[in-house]
Amino acid sequence: MSAETTSSGKPFVHYHSAHCESGVTLALFRDKGVEISEAMIFGIGSGIFFGHLPFVKWVGLPISTFRSQPGAVFRKAGKRLGAEFITRRFRNPQKGMDELRRVLKTGQIVGLTTNIYWLSYFPNRFRFQFNGHNIIVLCEIENGFRVSDPVLDHPVDCLTEDLERARFAHGPLEPHGFMYYPQSVSQNPDIRLACIKGMRDTCNMMLRIPLPIFGIRGIRSLAKRIIRMPDKIGFHEACRHLANVVRMQEEVGTGGAGFRFMYAAFLQEAADLFGSDELAQLSQEMTAIGDIWREFAVVSARIIKQRGQSEDNFGKAGGLMLICAGREEEFFKTLNTVVRNLKA
Amino acid sequence: MKVNEVPQEITYYEGYKRACYALNEDGKYVIVTSSGWSAEEIVNGLAVAELEAKLEGVRQEVIRGEKSPLLYHMERRQMTPEILAKTADIACFRVKRHFRPAVFAKLKSSVLDRYAKALAVTGQELISVPKK
Repeated sequence: MSAETTSSGKPFVHYHSAHCESGVTLALFRDKGVEISEAMIFGIGSGIFFGHLPFVKWVGLPISTFRSQPGAVFRKAGKRLGAEFITRRFRNPQKGMDELRRVLKTGQIVGLTTNIYWLSYFPNRFRFQFNGHNIIVLCEIENGFRVSDPVLDHPVDCLTEDLERARFAHGPLEPHGFMYYPQSVSQNPDIRLACIKGMRDTCNMMLRIPLPIFGIRGIRSLAKRIIRMPDKIGFHEACRHLANVVRMQEEVGTGGAGFRFMYAAFLQEAADLFGSDELAQLSQEMTAIGDIWREFAVVSARIIKQRGQSEDNFGKAGGLMLICAGREEEFFKTLNTVVRNLKA
Repeated sequence: MKVNEVPQEITYYEGYKRACYALNEDGKYVIVTSSGWSAEEIVNGLAVAELEAKLEGVRQEVIRGEKSPLLYHMERRQMTPEILAKTADIACFRVKRHFRPAVFAKLKSSVLDRYAKALAVTGQELISVPKK
């Protein structure tokens, strides 16, 4: 945490968050004086998910995602907490930058969707063409902007040309200069009702999408795919695919174990809110599941590093994932029944 | 994950730290910063090394005169011909054609400027590759 000010001189507190989208939403709510935590926003916005999209390629490899689609947490959390946001997209980069400057001058902080490759304050090894990174802009400074990136531990400066490139990058999920800021925020949102809605939505997404690539079914099918992988595409290629899954799980700002720990933190807070022992137990169960995901990452890393020379193999990695699938299925079924008995 | 299990093995994030959720002694979740995890280093290292190897391969091709420097600069920005075409506002088949050295050599300066702007390099950089 560190002290910063917006253009109107209002103090802004930077919160270090695990995930960019929930972090940005958090900053916008906190700026309006709503006391809420990142995990809460993540849970209310139904951020946890699983999907394996073999036909969508990112840097030549299929995408495995541990979160809902970009933008969903912000949209859902805003709706469920009764906040109205102004969102804008632009065709013309110049107009997009002018509008950003205009809004910043009013003292409002603004959330932006950007391409992570062009944000030069990131270390080089984390810069990949990915169009779904969210940041907060605080104010304009000399030839740049003051940026509060929630996944960094302190605010940074960003050059104007970098920011313009990042906002108007092309490729999959083009941001089109997407910017958003609150118009009105309810000061006393009904957090209990919002939590129930968020948890129900999550259960539906994890359990009831009738496609074998989403939710629990998705984890199962990916696990089975991983077990067969070395025979099908060769050891080297299989390592690349496995590494990509682990990267999606750990690297892309997840708070550990593909958002599972963050969700456990949300359940813990919800348990206090409702005074429910069942939710507290579910939080512990989610922590245990997260630990298995971490183990999966460790085993995968060992396979990749030792080139198959150790007792770890793809069967073991896939097996761990199957355990996760089984326990998560049990978990979300229990959560589904628990949520039904909660009173808003 | 407990607070003392949050990885601090290596410093991998070049000066910044990453937020992780972990349980403290009272069993409550708190945000703890992590300086780097060796498992992540391996998987991320694999991806970075792959990109570097590909880029170096392209550089050699350019030096041998099989491909134009445009391909090298595109790869350096981790773009695909489709992304570059949209960014520079040039049809994709033309972009691919410009990967041929003979075609690239005859390009007008206005087209080169558009590529230079799209790839955030100077005009001088665009027509050459670094000699390592």
